Amino acid sequence: MTTSADRRQRPGLAWAAPAALFFLVFGIVPIAAVVYLSLTRWDGLGTPQWIGLNNWRALANDADALHSIRITLLLTLLCWMIQTPLSMMIGVWAAGPQRNRAILSTLFFLPLLLSTAAIALVWLALLDPNFGLAHNLGGLVGVPDGNFLGDPHRALLSVAFVITWQFVPFHTLIYQAATRQIPHTLYESAALDGAATVRQFFSVTLPQLRNTVIASSVLIVVGSLTYFESILLLTNGGPGTATRVLPLHMYIKGFVGFDMGYASVLAVLLVLIGTLLSVLIVRTTGYHRMGSQREGL
Amino acid sequence: MTTYRAGGVSVARHARPGAPPPIWSTPPARPRRRHRWRRNWIAGVLSAIWLAIVILPLYMVLVTSVRTQSAYLSEGAIQPPTGLTLGNYGRTLRLGFGEFLMNSAIVAVFSIVLVGALALPAAYAITRGRSRIISGTFSMYLLGLAIPAQAVIIPIYLIVTKLHLYDSLLAIILPSTAFSLPMSIVVLTSTLRDIPNELYEAMFVDGAGPRRTFARLVVPMARPGLITIAIFSGLNAWNGIVFPLVLTQSESRRVLPLGLWNFQGQYGTDVPGLMAAVVLSALPVLALYLFGRRNLLRGLAAGFGK
Amino acid sequence: MHRNAVFPNRARHERAGWCGVRRRVWTRRAVACLFVAALLGLTAACALFPSGIGPGGRVFQVWALQDPQNQPIIQAALDSFNKTSTTKGSLTVYLNDAYKQKLQVSMGSPNAPDIFFNWGGGNLAPYVKAGRVATLDDALSENPSVKNAFLDSVMKTARIGGHQYGLPINGIQPVILYYNKAVFAKYHQQPPRTWDDLMTLVDAFKTHGVIPLVLPGTQAWTELMYLEYLLDRVGGPGKFEAIAGGNTSAWHDPAMLRALQLCQDLAKRGGFGTNFASINYDNTGASALFAQGKAAMFLMGSWEYTNQAQRQPDFFKSGNLGFTTFPTLTDGAGNPKDIVGNPSNYFSVRAGGRNTQAATTFLIKTLKSDAYVTSLVSSGQVPAIKGVNAKFAGSPNANFLNFTYDMANKAPAFTQSWDQALSPSVASELLTNLQKLFLSDITPQQFVDAMEKAQ
Repeated sequence: MTTSADRRQRPGLAWAAPAALFFLVFGIVPIAAVVYLSLTRWDGLGTPQWIGLNNWRALANDADALHSIRITLLLTLLCWMIQTPLSMMIGVWAAGPQRNRAILSTLFFLPLLLSTAAIALVWLALLDPNFGLAHNLGGLVGVPDGNFLGDPHRALLSVAFVITWQFVPFHTLIYQAATRQIPHTLYESAALDGAATVRQFFSVTLPQLRNTVIASSVLIVVGSLTYFESILLLTNGGPGTATRVLPLHMYIKGFVGFDMGYASVLAVLLVLIGTLLSVLIVRTTGYHRMGSQREGL
Repeated sequence: MTTYRAGGVSVARHARPGAPPPIWSTPPARPRRRHRWRRNWIAGVLSAIWLAIVILPLYMVLVTSVRTQSAYLSEGAIQPPTGLTLGNYGRTLRLGFGEFLMNSAIVAVFSIVLVGALALPAAYAITRGRSRIISGTFSMYLLGLAIPAQAVIIPIYLIVTKLHLYDSLLAIILPSTAFSLPMSIVVLTSTLRDIPNELYEAMFVDGAGPRRTFARLVVPMARPGLITIAIFSGLNAWNGIVFPLVLTQSESRRVLPLGLWNFQGQYGTDVPGLMAAVVLSALPVLALYLFGRRNLLRGLAAGFGK
Repeated sequence: MHRNAVFPNRARHERAGWCGVRRRVWTRRAVACLFVAALLGLTAACALFPSGIGPGGRVFQVWALQDPQNQPIIQAALDSFNKTSTTKGSLTVYLNDAYKQKLQVSMGSPNAPDIFFNWGGGNLAPYVKAGRVATLDDALSENPSVKNAFLDSVMKTARIGGHQYGLPINGIQPVILYYNKAVFAKYHQQPPRTWDDLMTLVDAFKTHGVIPLVLPGTQAWTELMYLEYLLDRVGGPGKFEAIAGGNTSAWHDPAMLRALQLCQDLAKRGGFGTNFASINYDNTGASALFAQGKAAMFLMGSWEYTNQAQRQPDFFKSGNLGFTTFPTLTDGAGNPKDIVGNPSNYFSVRAGGRNTQAATTFLIKTLKSDAYVTSLVSSGQVPAIKGVNAKFAGSPNANFLNFTYDMANKAPAFTQSWDQALSPSVASELLTNLQKLFLSDITPQQFVDAMEKAQ
């Protein structure tokens, strides 16, 4: 029951207002502007001309856009499937108390130090088929001529690999910290019940990491949807359109092709897909209820 | 009832009734067991492979940064360098690296501070407030989670120009902050939701209004979440290239990612110079990490683990 | 157990954390933080706030591409202009892709540059159409010596709707076939005269494990060069002129189909090696391959000459950098002397700015001045100035300069690179489809269908 005294103790609108207003100006207003722009024809220079839903109708006929959506979802799935188990396993392992693990986890952290542009340029040099690692080690993975970025399928895998290289450290850190938080009593009881190492992982560690997995997954999904700088530098969407994800397609249409109206349609689409996916993840896993995994301890 | 004191972080964190302290903060007071953590060979092997994958490119960056350009082109990336040179680092520093670094640092620090100052009160209001308008703002932030920067760059550019902020670091800081806000608020609300009602009621009984509750209870207990969003928004600000590109112009306002350009000519990249710049740009973050590592892990634990 | 007064619950081994210092950890850390904060605070004061660039400035802004060759030349020109002018000029440079985005965002705003770098043709057209570019007609008619100084074929590219909107600022950049003399000597081969010669060479080099033609396929504009030349050789310059003029059905011309087929056949034949689609030009992957003799020939713009001089000095000094014209087609309708490439790069002036006058004066005074032209020549470029070959004598690069100048001067037709001549949206479709064509993902018929739809 909320008494009026209680109400005086609770934060009022003034607490939420600064952030809300700030985000309104720099977040919501631009989105609204983009929605408006999607209904116009504009080359970025003159004045936008209202054309109603023509751009949206063009979307239905744009095979490249549908292809981009497919590639984006594929890449997101790929990234999630690779990054989540990898980060989890390494994070759990790194959470152990052995001293060498502390040193190693520092080493694992290093890719986070580099900016996206730096990472893309470094990997571009490494993937050079004649002078880079691709040349030396390509044979090991069945690509003797080092042709990674030039083959449509391998290009997508290479891009997924670079993204993984960049972000696994971050997620490893999250899992590592979360694992260290797990109370040892749980493991002790499991051991008393006769559970072996592997079984302990599945019945103790994994459930305790549930909220972490959800949070990390939302970050991966949302991140993959808006990720495009590295791809721009590595393949520019190529070869052909093999790695042209939706943000890149939007960039090419808008800033290279000077068709800001249509690019705005793609932008709105991106925002919708992203919101949908995050809400989906959060709702279906009950994250929004913020239940604790330590109930009753 | 547990007492708490301002700055008494450790006590407040253990305030959940009955919860044992997290494993890392107490030394093993009981007799040593042979396997406190089970040996996980699979993960160990995987980690070794992953270590190689992580280290090899970094090794290449380091090694290339001390080669001359012609040596790089003739020897390739992997071979141990024959003649070492620090000329690339000299060139990097001469090309204004110090200024770019300072600008990037300013952008990152101010973004982090601004995000914290905006997000924490908002999260507090969302978790504890009773107004429907306030819950409405939370939905607004959820909508903002997946906005790509390129999509809204033109409207933002127009807004920044109207505010007469073009070609200033503020022009980068403000939009970067806005873009980090949704995730930060989501993380902080999740952190604050774990503060038990009893603690709030304790403050209430003591006669504390929202301001005192905020200062004495919320801020200390939100420290883990604050560290998480500091890393998140700091990295975004440090790495960002779209906002600096479009919203700044002069060299005096240039940030590090744009500074890497100095090594990319129109018809060829000065790869060793680029690598030297990359190494130099990574050093400050590395230093921060080495100093703050324990706090980092401690902070992240409570931010995500619960 | 010793109790630490500041952190009562920290375990012993944890207290010796930072720098291994036990006591007074907190104070030292606080001092360090304050110091850093103060430092940031001081410097932050300046950079946080706008730099004053914008409509109020009394300095005209020049935007150009980042280029170690041309940048110093333009900067020097600005410096000497600033000495005698009340309105000064200032140069800012950008990397290629970033430049186009930046320019597009800024041109509609008060922060637009007064002078901006562009490639003429379809690259410049959107800005002209939006009324953002000032014409130079008046200034040129007042200065007939400037007007008549430049090669007409080069001026033409920046002439839109009958008005002159840009002036050439650097050298002519035709596409040249470079070849590695050492590799040719080693296998006793001669540079190709005809397309059939080229096919023979391709087969010969393949057997020796040498890549016949190095192609940085991650960047589709390098593939475009082959198509441009082949279309001209097959059907003459009129074929592309029709397309550039807006005739979309001109894509279906049999000459275009044949040119596309020739490109695809060359790729399939192994003319570019197997991994060409992964090679990148910007990170010098292609130039190094060529210089080290792993590839025999390289079709690239004239700038590759100076690129080799700077990046592959050993190879360059060895004198093994050969250059020749693109092979001819014995049954083709095009004139063997036709060339393709970038006529030049241009500076255009923004319309309606405060400093239009000063900017125009700068261009008129500088671009054909002796100092400027000489510095271009010394950097290994061929300025688009009539009779400039008189300046070549005595230059170490005289051979190349004369070759390039003759190529451009005697060419009946100089077709601009298609990705700069066509509108940007069509250009980007063209490049994407071209990559697919070279990888044999689409047929020539599918290519022209897609291009007609795009235009």
